[in-house]
Amino acid sequence: MSLALLSARLGKRQAALEYQWMKRAKSPVSLEEMVNRRVAGEPLQYILEEQPFGPLSIKLRPPVLIPRPETEEWTIRLAELLRPTRMLSVLDLGTGTGCIPLLLCHLLPAGMVRAHGIDISPAAVKLAGENAVLCGFSASPAGNASRNTFRPIQASFLDPFFPHKHLGINPPFDLVTSNPPYISWSEYLGLSTEVTHYEDPKALFGGPDGLDFYHAIAALVARKGFLNPGAVVAVEVGHDQADRVQDIFRTTANIESEIWLDPWKKKRTVVARTRSTIE
Amino acid sequence: MFRLGLRRFSSAIQQIEKDGARILRIVKKRVDERAAIASQISETMASPEDIMRLKQLKETEPIQEAWDQWVSTREALRETQVLLDDPDLRSMAAADYTMLTESLTEIVKTKFPAILVPPSRTTHLSALMELKSGVGGSEASLFLGEMLRMYLRLAQVSRWKANIVSSSDLDSGGMRDAVVEFKGAGAYDALRWESGVHRVQRVPATEQSGRVHTSTVAVVVLPLVEESEAQKEELYSMDDIKIEVMRARGAGGQHVNKTESAVRLTHIPSGVTVAMQDERSQHQNKRRAFQVLASRLLEAKLQREMEERRASRRNLVKSADRSDKIRTYNYAQERVTDHRIGLSLMNLSSVMEGDGLQDFVAALQRDHEESQMEDMLLEE
Repeated sequence: MSLALLSARLGKRQAALEYQWMKRAKSPVSLEEMVNRRVAGEPLQYILEEQPFGPLSIKLRPPVLIPRPETEEWTIRLAELLRPTRMLSVLDLGTGTGCIPLLLCHLLPAGMVRAHGIDISPAAVKLAGENAVLCGFSASPAGNASRNTFRPIQASFLDPFFPHKHLGINPPFDLVTSNPPYISWSEYLGLSTEVTHYEDPKALFGGPDGLDFYHAIAALVARKGFLNPGAVVAVEVGHDQADRVQDIFRTTANIESEIWLDPWKKKRTVVARTRSTIE
Repeated sequence: MFRLGLRRFSSAIQQIEKDGARILRIVKKRVDERAAIASQISETMASPEDIMRLKQLKETEPIQEAWDQWVSTREALRETQVLLDDPDLRSMAAADYTMLTESLTEIVKTKFPAILVPPSRTTHLSALMELKSGVGGSEASLFLGEMLRMYLRLAQVSRWKANIVSSSDLDSGGMRDAVVEFKGAGAYDALRWESGVHRVQRVPATEQSGRVHTSTVAVVVLPLVEESEAQKEELYSMDDIKIEVMRARGAGGQHVNKTESAVRLTHIPSGVTVAMQDERSQHQNKRRAFQVLASRLLEAKLQREMEERRASRRNLVKSADRSDKIRTYNYAQERVTDHRIGLSLMNLSSVMEGDGLQDFVAALQRDHEESQMEDMLLEE
């Protein structure tokens, strides 16, 4: 009965998969209620309140952005690229659930990552803090240097004075990551209601052409002393934005970058490495 | 009476020697070879050949020890036999006689084969089992669910950790297919003979007319390879693997939040492909797909090794074809028959709900060991 309802909404194949996942979920919510919510259009990840991200399990709560498979893939690739020989100071802009810095904390050797995540949304910062604890990377006041840590902070990185002194995060950084809002206004109507009705618009929309946040990030990393020599900047971009984002980094910050394809062959990530010596 | 009994006693050694003639011949040959090697070692132990010979002596020590035990037990048995003629000692000797006969039989039937047959390369392996319902529709699916429970019970008794990796449950009960991991030493060796088509004959619960239906469930058991194991076995190189994601995601990224995690691997040299979609993240599906790929490649390798060993012999591979019907579960007769070894148990409930399955597993393992033994005898 439930499966039939799901099939009508999702198609047979997807329904069979999602039904299994719901059945296996360790949740106080009844299977019947899960199916009803799913049929009503709620994203599966919110119903299950959790999404695997690499080997981690990330706790979810609406309206914080659901981690996507593309992000998972490039974060793992980024971790494989980095070969830290000393503690890296990591800054994640628009951290949401905290999935990117947490996966880096998990994949890189212990004692090599001290990460901070910025988000404008208090709900995201609260959730990211919970995820830091669940994944075992919360920053303890004692500051044990042998652990990787992640601390989310509520702030706007569009603020011209970001980062304010009182936030306790100080440049220079060795790695800046971001999956900033990048959907353009014109694309709004084409989105599924599973996205628009449930996920935080502030995590999705990046201004008229979707590029607002890339201008802000490029300006930030262009600041003197914001990055260490040899620092890496990795940002996720929308399916048709990679070339324009590359231009923004080149013109605003004078940084050359490369483009990584996602598993579906879309240009998904713009990765820049600053010169390793100051000229 | 007495004469008759004695004749029966006196024939015990002869009977054991007759039954075990081939294996005794092989062991004797090995022991003679060992003696020859020992006689070639020079007094000075100077040459590299000597070192080699010492090594060979060391390696063949177990067979010598077993042979010595055989000789002494045989002698003791012969002496006891004489005592049976003495009316005063007869009753005491009879007990010894029985015991010694058993020991001698055990040496030929168990001890010698254990030393001669190379140890299994697969004893440490865990198992990955896939069950698929075949003919019979929903009745096959129901039976699949019951078989799954049967295997889970076996896992519990055998102290393997069972984990249902995926299953497609049906609203009508049962499941269309299931994949289960059995983690623990000996799981693969015990379960590998479950591969094949299992047939059930019974009146389905849903059948109004009381007609007996025949349905089937296909089982495939693969060795489960840990990541470290896969590397040690050099089963594949990453360069030979094509990784593909399945199904388009449109714009992808933030534009889409549908769970789309299916992955397909292709091992280019062998053409083996593995598709995985049961997990909720690509990462998990990829890991699982690699594990299944390693299992498939290891199974192919084990199969190849077995065939190579047998290639030169007239006794060709006992059919390992997965489409072969291997076992029948007949509910009306309370009977389970394994068609490969011709073993029938007239207690179906104990197979499905109790310890009966262990009898089949043990019998099949014994059969495998015996056939390995036969292979070895043919080689001599």
